[in-house]
Amino acid sequence: MAVARDLTRAMLGFGATLRASGLPVTTGALMDAVRALEMVDLMDRAQVYLALRTVLVSRMEEQPAFDRCFEAFWKFQADDGQGLDGLVAAVQPRGSEEEPPTGGMEGAQQKQAQIALEDWDEGEAQEGEPLEVPGQSDREMLMEHDFSTFPVEQLDEVARLTVQIAKRLARRVSRRRKPTRRGGVVDLRRSMRANLTRGEIIELRRRSRRRRKVRLVLLCDVSGSMDLYSRFLLQFLYALQNVFGRVETFTFATRLTRVSELLRGPSYKSALRRLTEVRDWSGGTRIGDSLRDFNREWGHLVNRRTIVLVLSDGWDTGEPEVLAQEMLSLKRRAGRVIWLNPLLGNPSYEPLTRGMAAALPLVDHFAAAHNLASLRELAGHLTIR
Amino acid sequence: MRAEIKKIEEMMEAAEYVTDPAIAMSVHLAMTLKKPLLIEGHAGVGKTEVAKVMAKMLETSLIRLQCYEGLDAAQALYEWNYPKQLLHIKLEESTSHSLTEKEAAIFSPPFLIKRPLLQAISETGTPPVLLIDEIDRADEEFEAFLLEVLSEFQVTIPEIGTIKATQPPYVILTSNRIRELSDALRRRCLYLWIDFPGFEKEVRIVTRKVPGVNERLAREISRFMETVRTIRLAKVPGVAETLDWAQALTSLHADHLDEELVAETLGCVVKDADDVKRLKRELTTGGIARFVAAQS
Repeated sequence: MAVARDLTRAMLGFGATLRASGLPVTTGALMDAVRALEMVDLMDRAQVYLALRTVLVSRMEEQPAFDRCFEAFWKFQADDGQGLDGLVAAVQPRGSEEEPPTGGMEGAQQKQAQIALEDWDEGEAQEGEPLEVPGQSDREMLMEHDFSTFPVEQLDEVARLTVQIAKRLARRVSRRRKPTRRGGVVDLRRSMRANLTRGEIIELRRRSRRRRKVRLVLLCDVSGSMDLYSRFLLQFLYALQNVFGRVETFTFATRLTRVSELLRGPSYKSALRRLTEVRDWSGGTRIGDSLRDFNREWGHLVNRRTIVLVLSDGWDTGEPEVLAQEMLSLKRRAGRVIWLNPLLGNPSYEPLTRGMAAALPLVDHFAAAHNLASLRELAGHLTIR
Repeated sequence: MRAEIKKIEEMMEAAEYVTDPAIAMSVHLAMTLKKPLLIEGHAGVGKTEVAKVMAKMLETSLIRLQCYEGLDAAQALYEWNYPKQLLHIKLEESTSHSLTEKEAAIFSPPFLIKRPLLQAISETGTPPVLLIDEIDRADEEFEAFLLEVLSEFQVTIPEIGTIKATQPPYVILTSNRIRELSDALRRRCLYLWIDFPGFEKEVRIVTRKVPGVNERLAREISRFMETVRTIRLAKVPGVAETLDWAQALTSLHADHLDEELVAETLGCVVKDADDVKRLKRELTTGGIARFVAAQS
């Protein structure tokens, strides 16, 4: 049983490595991993790898990260041989001398486990310094990298992926809001119950699904560096369009422009390009003033069934009081207010600008939207509780 | 290699399923850890087959729940046999049975229609294999409901009581990734991603499943398919297409690929008008050599 305990300890260490690489591993999964290891040959690296992968990976996209962690954690020299040879060679100096092998199957197996474990422990021993896990690759890189870091020629590929992810998410949400035929379907179970005393069905019970779509209002900062992020957000949300009742889009830098009609046509892509034309180049961002314009002219678009998304870095050249006041007015009427700040993707960023500091307390959700992974996550917040 | 896993591989091969270590391992763990196994992959890579082969190996029954849009708990779990109940009430009209007695009669097991989930739970004897096919087609609410059933393996029918599985079934879920599945469901399951087969595996599949195909043709077909899958098509062909094509070519008594033959039979490989055009263009520019060039 000592073996089992050591395995557990080793797995907890491995779990920490996985989590550090962004894999959401639960303790329950780690316990399953321990049980899984008891089912395989611990001396066979390929088997240990497959067993752990089966238990700890839960979507295809996690596989590359898992592979890297496994390589890093289980580091015995592959050149010494793949399975038994390499493993024994790597740990021989410490593991085997004190405990001469006991006879019989059980003893041998126990020893195997112990030898293998020495290796796991090695990984765990370096807890202080983070385990070195090699860099990311291809698709995964596309998911995690900030939009602004992609070279121009790769942007099309990223845009394609954005739409693909959005469509997959749209299916997930849209179905449960699907309209049903008038009156819904007959619920036989409840009809039977209701008519039990009568001997035949006189009164039909029906059921239908509720259908309540959420409206979206987007306020996109298109000044300077925000432009690129706005484009990806727009692309993403428009691919999700059929999930929402209506999407209203405004851009702002120093003044507010409504671009909903522009984006509604079939040639949506070229419309996105034309966005540049409506941009005002006068420099500086007046978020507060733009929001005030919105509240005054378009305030009727916002009600309890509306989610308002503001995408901006919060660099406001106007008065923070105005911004705070307008945000409050928005928050009072909207179902939910989400502020997206791509700078949040940078771990060292703190929302200290005056504008951001003023707006933050009035925001229901504050997120990054700087890469594909964060856009995907955003979709989960686009509901009104 | 652990004997059990070796045995699973052998049994899968014996059941005409060309396997690899990853598939064998996940089946082994699903059986020993008694956890549901979620299998994802492109259409036509043999996800459903895994469950069928597993049932065959365990010599137990396969209970299949095909998911579709709008599938709800009643259709998956149980339903009362309403026509039979109605008829029974009619027949009982003239008797002197009390209402409670009538009610007890029509809400008793003979009037219960067991749907796949209840069937799998109430099965006595060897636990069956429960295949929940294409879970991504079902709605999200159904997924949540399924999660509940999968964690407890018990079902409460208000009129009868709670039915608990004496031995939980082996559960296989498949998904084509039409829709994202919830993290909760994923966490509950073991996971297997089946990719398109590599060259060697596909050659094995072709020679195994298409009688009369010769070695050279099988290799050329597999190489061709490998190249086709690197082209960005609307619908990437799966193993099913490979087998269709191999079958067609063999019945034409072909023993190798040439341009004319490929052009004539391209409909077996890609089934989308634009894809056919695209592939034809690639074939005329690069020639067949490009597709089977890497042949060893």
